[in-house]
Amino acid sequence: MIYHDVLCPFCACLCDDIVVEVEDGRIVKVDNACDLGTHKFMSDEKLRSPMRRERGVWREVGMEEAISRTVEILLDADRPLLYGWSSTHVEAQGLGIRIAEVIGGVIDSTTSICHGPSILAIQEVGHPGSTLGQIKNRADLVVYWGCNPIEAHPRHLSRYTTYADGFFLNKAFRERKLIVADTRRTQSARIADEFLLVKHDADYAILGAIRAIVRGQTDMIPPSVGGVPKQQLLRVAEMCKKAKYGVFFFGMGLTQTAGKYKNVRNAIELVIELNRHTKFTLTPMRGHFNVYGFNEVCTWMTGYPYAVDYSRGLAFYNPGETTAVDILARGECDACLVVASDPAAHMPKKAVAHLSTIPVVQIDPQINLTSAFCELLIPVATTGIDAEGSAYRMDGVPLRMKAVLKNVHPTDTDVLGEIYRRIRGAKGCG
Amino acid sequence: MKVVLTTKPRKNPRIPVEAELLIPESFLDPSGAEELTVWEGNRERGLSDLFDIHVEGGAEKAEEVQLVVRGDTGTLKRVGERMTGGRILIEGDIGMHCGNLMKGGTIEIAGNADAWLGREMLGGEIRCRGNANHYLASGYRGEKFGMKGGVVEVFGNAGDYTAEYLSGGKVIVHGNAGDLPGIEMAAGTLVIMGDCRRACGNMTGGEVYIHGTVHQMLPTFRKVGEKVMGEPPAPYSIFTGDIANRGKGTIFIRNYQYLL
Repeated sequence: MIYHDVLCPFCACLCDDIVVEVEDGRIVKVDNACDLGTHKFMSDEKLRSPMRRERGVWREVGMEEAISRTVEILLDADRPLLYGWSSTHVEAQGLGIRIAEVIGGVIDSTTSICHGPSILAIQEVGHPGSTLGQIKNRADLVVYWGCNPIEAHPRHLSRYTTYADGFFLNKAFRERKLIVADTRRTQSARIADEFLLVKHDADYAILGAIRAIVRGQTDMIPPSVGGVPKQQLLRVAEMCKKAKYGVFFFGMGLTQTAGKYKNVRNAIELVIELNRHTKFTLTPMRGHFNVYGFNEVCTWMTGYPYAVDYSRGLAFYNPGETTAVDILARGECDACLVVASDPAAHMPKKAVAHLSTIPVVQIDPQINLTSAFCELLIPVATTGIDAEGSAYRMDGVPLRMKAVLKNVHPTDTDVLGEIYRRIRGAKGCG
Repeated sequence: MKVVLTTKPRKNPRIPVEAELLIPESFLDPSGAEELTVWEGNRERGLSDLFDIHVEGGAEKAEEVQLVVRGDTGTLKRVGERMTGGRILIEGDIGMHCGNLMKGGTIEIAGNADAWLGREMLGGEIRCRGNANHYLASGYRGEKFGMKGGVVEVFGNAGDYTAEYLSGGKVIVHGNAGDLPGIEMAAGTLVIMGDCRRACGNMTGGEVYIHGTVHQMLPTFRKVGEKVMGEPPAPYSIFTGDIANRGKGTIFIRNYQYLL
């Protein structure tokens, strides 16, 4: 059986042209996907049933025991944390937020350790964004700042930018100019027309300098800024102003280095300044395939995009205070539900150290580093492979994920729905 | 009137306690103290569950109340929020958001203060004898204005984003400040006796005095002159900016270095 136009559940490019061949309930061939996507489709190492760890010994348990123990842990906690959510569908994310509200917990997604700062900046100065379709068909100048799409979003260049055909461009590949800014010469830097080798933590100063240059104020700029010669800054500013349609993509290099959201804010304000001269837009290079979805769901349900604290019944939002890393590093939370993510692999040591001392339940298709110290592991179907659901692409376009395999495991929605139903029952909400 | 609150031991002392009712106004009615509640995580607790309460005398106005908080106070959040008068004395460290939106009165902190001390403050005085964490006297997420009035004085060091969005009042840091102090500031005065990094990005107005060294000075400020000032007298550079933002703020700097 061959499935066409399958969506790839790996990164937020959310490529929708994958061809998947299935034989005897297994995926045997994947076409069009990049290495990262192919690997996700082909991997089938899954637990058969939920596992529970007691006094250091793992044993298989039934779904009934797994769910009732999860409910018990969540109801007992004074400051439970519900973390993850980026690699599942929006329907499951919505259930997570409902659970957080009923138990008075804190819900946060992996956003807070990737593009959370981008959202903080957007809340301050807005988002001059556009869909990737517009960019593909119109952009003649592409900027990748602090990101390396060739290795992290391998099909981004061929589907949406440099190597893609554009409806309003004659010879797209020759017409499009590429600017890359990074602290090291990455694969993406090698194909750039202009590469800015930025010193660590210098992004804020450099973006500010380009803003001033675009405004025609150049006299006070020193001969070089953060490792970039003034001449190059003048050249880059001119390229941006001359473009017919420019686009600014940025990644962790901007959001997670010193200054964080203020770096992003400076980039947004540069784009705003450039719009006095030409058309320019900005899009964050989101990571997980549905990390943007969590921000959408969370915003429409709670009013805030991530890091929402329901401990007093009302939604309270303050990244730095209610974000998962901070709550864990300060040792506040006393129970954690991890859904579709791997905090142990990505969070600072101090946060992970605390996570290992409290009851943790993990709902995830795969085993990962976090599994090692969980009390309960609940295997589920993988969204986009054996579970259907909606996901949001990095530009905020919602797409429906297909299932190509019949699921043996329950989906995230099944498991979380049952947990939610029981918690509501226990809390007397009917 | 003097009210002394002493923390009782808690089962999990690391869970923060939200105590926005710990302001002088709450204790004007002597029987009212028994009914005050605070939140420990997602559980609402009576004040007497978490504190030993000792009250001396009475008061008719907030100005006559002195509230003393002692014990394990480092996890108490929002103490002094929206207070209008009187005095709060914290004998140890204090948790986040102390003196949020306060309008009047005095908060004295003997130890260190956690982040967002004096957030969006409107008036009154805060004095912190130790260090203050990030976002000292700053704004709230997404808001256009930070502190609008009053005085915040920190005798130790301050963290990053000190006086972010400062829109009035005065902030004095006797030690060093961290990264990006005075960022987005629009009015008011910021004084840093020690060093800091990347001062005043995007500022549109106000005055900043930095008596130490600014590391990684932002390139978008224009030097407009020099002045001899301070005690002992020393030459200071005067900058205006942030040019990137059409800003008209002024910074007086003792020493600075660019990240070239």
